[in-house]
Amino acid sequence: MNKHNAKPSWLKKSLCLCLAAALLSGCGGDDGDDGMNGVDGQDGAAGAAGSDGSGNANPEFVTTSGFSFPSDSIFVAPEAVDGDNITNDLLLALFDAPAGSTVVMPKGSFVIDETITVANANELTLTGYGITDTKLDFTGATGDDAIRFEGGLDITVRDFGVYEANKNGIKVVGANGVHLTYTATVWEGDLTADNGAYGLYPLQSQNILMEHNYARGSADAGIYVGQSNNIIVRNNIAKENVAGIEIENSNNADVYNNLAVGNTGGILVFDLPGLDQAYGGNVRVFNNESYANNAENFAGGGAVSIVPPGTGILIFATSGVEIYNNELTDNETSAIEIASYFLSDPDVANYATNYGGTIANGWSPQIKNVYLHDNVIKRSGANPRGSLVTDIVNGYTAPVGVGGKGETMPAILYGGIGELLSNAGELAAFNGLVGAEAQADGVNYNPYTADDLICANNNINDNEPAAETQFPHVNIGLVYGTDPTDLTNFDFSSGSPVPTPTLRSEPVQGNSTLLNCTQDRLAATEVNFRGKTYGCAGDDLAEPACSL
Amino acid sequence: MKFNELQKYVCGSVLVFAVSIGLSACSDSSSSSSEGTGSASAAGSINDGAGAPDGSEGSCDAQVEGVNWNALMTETCPNLSDYNLFTDSFDPTDNPSAGGVPYDLSTALFTDYASKYRFVFVPEGETVSYTEDEVLDFPVGTVLVKTFAMPENTSFRDGAETVIETRLLIHRDTGWKALPYYWESETAATLAITGADIPNMTTNHNGVDLDFTYQVPKATSCTSCHSVVPILQDSDDRRQAIFMPIGPKARFLNKTFDYADTSMNQLVYWQEQGLLTGLPADLSTVAQAPVFSDTTDVSALTSSELEDAAKAYLDINCAHCHRSELSLPEPNYAGPAGSSGLNVEYNRAYADNPTKFGTCKVPVAGGHADYSADVVPQDSGDSYLLFRMNTNDQRHRMPELGRATVHQEGVNLIVAWIDGLPAASCTP
Repeated sequence: MNKHNAKPSWLKKSLCLCLAAALLSGCGGDDGDDGMNGVDGQDGAAGAAGSDGSGNANPEFVTTSGFSFPSDSIFVAPEAVDGDNITNDLLLALFDAPAGSTVVMPKGSFVIDETITVANANELTLTGYGITDTKLDFTGATGDDAIRFEGGLDITVRDFGVYEANKNGIKVVGANGVHLTYTATVWEGDLTADNGAYGLYPLQSQNILMEHNYARGSADAGIYVGQSNNIIVRNNIAKENVAGIEIENSNNADVYNNLAVGNTGGILVFDLPGLDQAYGGNVRVFNNESYANNAENFAGGGAVSIVPPGTGILIFATSGVEIYNNELTDNETSAIEIASYFLSDPDVANYATNYGGTIANGWSPQIKNVYLHDNVIKRSGANPRGSLVTDIVNGYTAPVGVGGKGETMPAILYGGIGELLSNAGELAAFNGLVGAEAQADGVNYNPYTADDLICANNNINDNEPAAETQFPHVNIGLVYGTDPTDLTNFDFSSGSPVPTPTLRSEPVQGNSTLLNCTQDRLAATEVNFRGKTYGCAGDDLAEPACSL
Repeated sequence: MKFNELQKYVCGSVLVFAVSIGLSACSDSSSSSSEGTGSASAAGSINDGAGAPDGSEGSCDAQVEGVNWNALMTETCPNLSDYNLFTDSFDPTDNPSAGGVPYDLSTALFTDYASKYRFVFVPEGETVSYTEDEVLDFPVGTVLVKTFAMPENTSFRDGAETVIETRLLIHRDTGWKALPYYWESETAATLAITGADIPNMTTNHNGVDLDFTYQVPKATSCTSCHSVVPILQDSDDRRQAIFMPIGPKARFLNKTFDYADTSMNQLVYWQEQGLLTGLPADLSTVAQAPVFSDTTDVSALTSSELEDAAKAYLDINCAHCHRSELSLPEPNYAGPAGSSGLNVEYNRAYADNPTKFGTCKVPVAGGHADYSADVVPQDSGDSYLLFRMNTNDQRHRMPELGRATVHQEGVNLIVAWIDGLPAASCTP
């Protein structure tokens, strides 16, 4: 040690407070109760002193969600008042925090003027006093992301809000164990392209639990998981983002009990080309409410700029997805859209050139094995739109005789072009591009087998009788027929057969012949975090949604 | 050189000089230091007499001849001078203590037109091992020292300048450790964990006065550029990020440097001075990133020289984040932005997969409505990558850190490269 050793002021304060906390709590008097409402059974990861379990916990040391600060917590700028800039206090606390630390940001609204970067955090808990009690305002900050974790193990982020990030709100890259809870990322005011990018944003990570969060105003996805594995997204609210909740190039994800409202698209499952983790799968989206996702698309660019306004759920080029028991109401284009990547890029001839590398790694423009069942659909398709689907919309909705069918826009819309091309053998050459590892994982461009089919059954038309004049149908629509032996699926006017849209549709209930099949149910996802198992096979075993 | 009154720039900036930091910002990075195969040592080494850490706990107050190795290995000292890296502790631009060798890079990271003074300190008895594509294998004990100074006029870099900051990368037995020191006065460089904003930094560049806020990065920011992150393989994969240097790769060192007594290729000099082992006998087999400076005439480059210069520029300015596993010795690691799909390492052939260089690649995160792809061959004006180099907007600028101004010469280089690329499917 050297003689210049002067302790920073925040440290002294934290020691005083810790002492007080220990006295108040009796240090270790935790009864295991976490103060949560028990709905989801999660424990808040508190575990240590700070709560006396009798409801007498000092509010100075418990968040609004019931998380009690351990006695050795590090308190950042505890005497800061609204409007103070606590950037340096926070940086110093995080820089010095040993493994297992709880770093507590103060109650109030504070300015942060620079990206907060945390590398290789180990069982760090970064907390405020509550999702609306601790606000960090990044307006005018330097740097792009607001808070960024690089690497890390078993990181908990909870009980505060990040406002007006230049780019992403809270980004976590390359971590194993990420628990984001009671955390908000918000861009207030008008929905504009400069509202950052992602809100809550774990990337290339493992064991991700996101629950009880709130994301509003993101010009990309409010709640997003990308290139990650073993993911649970539950009990969150995503409001007025371009994409409410998005799972991208990720494996083993359960998305349930969330509310997506007022977004451009409510819940998205995407596989995009060219990424390190080339493709995802085994994604279950169930028991969510996806309401009135009718915001005009305000993305500044990027993949989500294709999302049609009025989309409840969109599955885009991801295979192995189960969508069930969701309530989809007032989405003005379609409740559920299922599309291969050919919808976005129909230039089949140039796929080898443009996507050869990523196809080798297993990314596929195809969409296979999607099972939609028991979804409850109400008032879908009131004002269908979106540049990606303009022709489809016109085809279905324009009056008969004007070139359309004069129907309500289908509530469940499946493109079908990729399946038709596969079944016709038009994509057989792609098989030569697929690398050995992806081949072994079942990636191929052969005609669809029964296991590959897009299936929909038992979905429910929940329109009230009074609404039936405006919404006469809740239909399944199939833009391209998938049977290559059905000559009506092709246009022969140029001499050779060219796939042509047939715009089939049938009601979701009754004897629908479209997408009339079933698939095996997908397995529940487990998330392991700090020694506990979360999800339908873990802490939510008794959760009704997990029995659907 | 002359110090300006730096303090006048510092008003309003907040500096915290934290001491006694015991964290491990750097993760373990197993270093296979050389095993004394340095044959050149028979003829003596430039770091003979430089001293070396002896494994005992150091002291920032130790009175030592030469480098305070033990303190470097164990202590986070409050003052740069505690490490005794320079003969004149007030001048980090010249006269390193024994064991220090100056070097530079053929193409360098742009930092607001600052001049950079780089030194490598290798302990006595140790050698650096040659590595083909990655950072040279520096032994434990190595210290890389980089000082940033703003010239009054970028056309006269030997003239007046303001010394701003000195950054240390120290190779400890637990991995690399970064320590930033800020020259708060001309006689004191102090540890600046939270960095510093220096408003009204000025320099004259090609006759134009630039006036901007220079940001000394905070210590936690070091990892943003200096780490590679694990590509986690499964739910049980609990590897952490690895901290590492960026610049001193063979391809950037493979150039002539003007030493005090001679002018010589840096790699050859290091070898002759007993500092470097394993350098291929045939130097032509060693990759060589071209020299690119603000006076390079881009219009005079042949198309292959242009591609070479552009790749070197993208490598040193972008590929610390935008890199994949490629030649990293640690399996399943990549740069923090490797996941974006834009991977622009110098040792990646453009033609193998143009998408990796952004060609016709739609930005994954974010993007901008006015730019259809990262790189649109033959249409730099529609290329998002170029836009990001050419803006200071916090939301879009690249690199994220380390610049408040646009590097016009770098932009010009990348414009020429994009506009000269072979047409691709997205080319209008």
